[in-house]
Amino acid sequence: MSEVLADVGSGESVQLVDVPDENTRARLLRLGFLDGSVECRHHIRKGPVIVRHNGTELALGAALAEEIEIERPTAEASD
Amino acid sequence: MDGCHDAGCDASEIDADSTLALVGCPNVGKSVVFGELAEQYVDVSNYPGTTVDTTLAEFGDYQLTDTPGVYGISAFDEEERVTREIVLEADAVVNVVDATHLDRDLFLTLQLLDMGIPTVVALNMMDEAEAGGIDVDVEALEEALGVPVVPTVAIDGEGFDELRERVPEATAPESTDIEAYYEELPDELEASRREKTLLVEGDEDLAREADVGGVMADGGSPALVDPGLREEVYGQRRSRVQSIVDSVQNVTRTDESIGDRLSDLMINPLTGTPIALAVLGLIYYFIGDLVAQRLVDKLEGEILAAHYIPAVESFVGGLLPEAGWIEPIEFLLINDNLGLLTVTVQYIVGTLLPLVIAFYLAIGVLEDSGVLPRLAVLTDRGLNRIGLNGRAVVPMIVGVGCVTMAVITTRMVGSKRERTISTALLGLGIPCSAQLGVIMGLMAGLGLIYWFGYLGILLVVLGVAGVFLDRTLPGESEALVTELPRMRIPRPGNILRKTYNRAKMFLREAIPLFAVTALAISALDYVGGLAAIQDGLRPLTSLVGMPTDFGQILVLGLIRRDFAAAGMTDMALSSAQVFIGLVVITLFVPCILAMVMILKERDAKSAILMWLGSWVVAFGVGGLLAAAFGVIA
Repeated sequence: MSEVLADVGSGESVQLVDVPDENTRARLLRLGFLDGSVECRHHIRKGPVIVRHNGTELALGAALAEEIEIERPTAEASD
Repeated sequence: MDGCHDAGCDASEIDADSTLALVGCPNVGKSVVFGELAEQYVDVSNYPGTTVDTTLAEFGDYQLTDTPGVYGISAFDEEERVTREIVLEADAVVNVVDATHLDRDLFLTLQLLDMGIPTVVALNMMDEAEAGGIDVDVEALEEALGVPVVPTVAIDGEGFDELRERVPEATAPESTDIEAYYEELPDELEASRREKTLLVEGDEDLAREADVGGVMADGGSPALVDPGLREEVYGQRRSRVQSIVDSVQNVTRTDESIGDRLSDLMINPLTGTPIALAVLGLIYYFIGDLVAQRLVDKLEGEILAAHYIPAVESFVGGLLPEAGWIEPIEFLLINDNLGLLTVTVQYIVGTLLPLVIAFYLAIGVLEDSGVLPRLAVLTDRGLNRIGLNGRAVVPMIVGVGCVTMAVITTRMVGSKRERTISTALLGLGIPCSAQLGVIMGLMAGLGLIYWFGYLGILLVVLGVAGVFLDRTLPGESEALVTELPRMRIPRPGNILRKTYNRAKMFLREAIPLFAVTALAISALDYVGGLAAIQDGLRPLTSLVGMPTDFGQILVLGLIRRDFAAAGMTDMALSSAQVFIGLVVITLFVPCILAMVMILKERDAKSAILMWLGSWVVAFGVGGLLAAAFGVIA
């Protein structure tokens, strides 16, 4: 089973690969959060996940974080 | 659509009555730029058909329009729809871009240019970029975008002479890379470049109105293009953004600022919760104590009640002729409960105005400092359980000040479902500060244990009601998606301007409502309606173990919440009765003004259900307590 954003701990960098909700996907795409990796700044237990990309921070509610599929960067591709 | 909206439009085509829209992402200093450019404020008003405020002003030959902050031109929420409407009609745009967030902000810029809208970019927050080690090559950016770029520091007024000079140079490139996608649209389609750009991005409203070879597009299938095209267009625009950012921006260092560290502390529940409680305590001290108690007491009691009301009463008494038929008119104007010229004015000027101003000041500070979205993050988990998300924290905070005002702020909490839940909870169990002051006074005589009991019962009722509404209302609540802007020290000028605009808007909406309500209640009072209601309440007052006089308290509570609590101070009641009475009047229907506001903001059916619901809950909980205390006669 693929991993989701809700599995990511504070401080990790991951790539958001699948956002099922179309509008949320378009909003994240617009802000650049689907280009390259994003840093998980905080993950509040059972609460929102705060992700950061190029200095912009976004809080995503727990239900949404459960839906967003992620990929962890492989050793050579990480940045 | 008028104005120039095709490729290569230049300044010479802008006529004397041109509209200039100020567009940018949230928190980029747009309102400060607006204040710098505006020569004369014209109006603050709701954008037609919406609840979003827009500000108009004059700037040279332009009519300058502020727009809600958005990350792009589309229709994901009400703010975006308003900005989209204004931009579609604008002759030119000043696009305010945050120099520290080029990667985020240039998407909107390129979208405006793809639409062919004559644009000038105000590259704001150049000072913060410099301080943060971000070097932006302004000339290279101007070259890459093909439109004027003016560096500014809005808060210091830097760069505005140049911006004012260069607004007439607003332009857009003849063509951009988006044109390749226009081929996807039907050949017969007649549309401007602005419309075509939004159509390839799947704009449903435009698709519905699209004129395809004389035949209007079928309302049943709004999309003119493949649904996946929006993402392709967005993705292509993002890659253009990235290549521009790579070529014009040089980040020399990235260190954590004090704001970053404070932000971390606020978001972490362990440190954030005490900070949030301290902030809320401070706000409560400012509004609930300094303003609601001291200032309002002085204004209402010492100034208005002591000087204004007697003066009006004698003036009106002297003006009106002595005749039987004049008596009802005199009663409507100057009765002691809710006379239009006496108590209503005393209430609006003495209570509401100071509270409204104080609240908007506090909310302004929370917004501009970046605290508000962090409070939303902290409370999101808890609010999720009652079908809300973190954004609903605002109406709940405001509600403790004034429920009437809080009902208006439910506009910002997201979908209709969330608005309904937050409004219902506000109406049910959030005591307003006017009432809370008197309640605290009565509770002080009972002891701390009753105070905790009171808070506990309210929290349980709110929790149960929230869970109930969440389970019964159709649909699902929206998850929180909110940007966390940098934390910074708010600028007093900006907060004062916002407070002034918002207070003006609120009073403009509220005063006519209040006046009509006051007249209606006074008329009911005059014909003996209030006394009849009081009689009718007798079975309910005995259900909760209270004397018949309590009916009068409830009726007074309809008019003003604090009247109800204050009326109880004069009654001979046992401790248990005081406690039950306070719980019942808190849960009982909100004041008539809040009810009218709920009716205005929601539909009649929801308003009536909320009204009936608070009767059931107030007397249900009151009855249970009465049984528990064994006070039923």
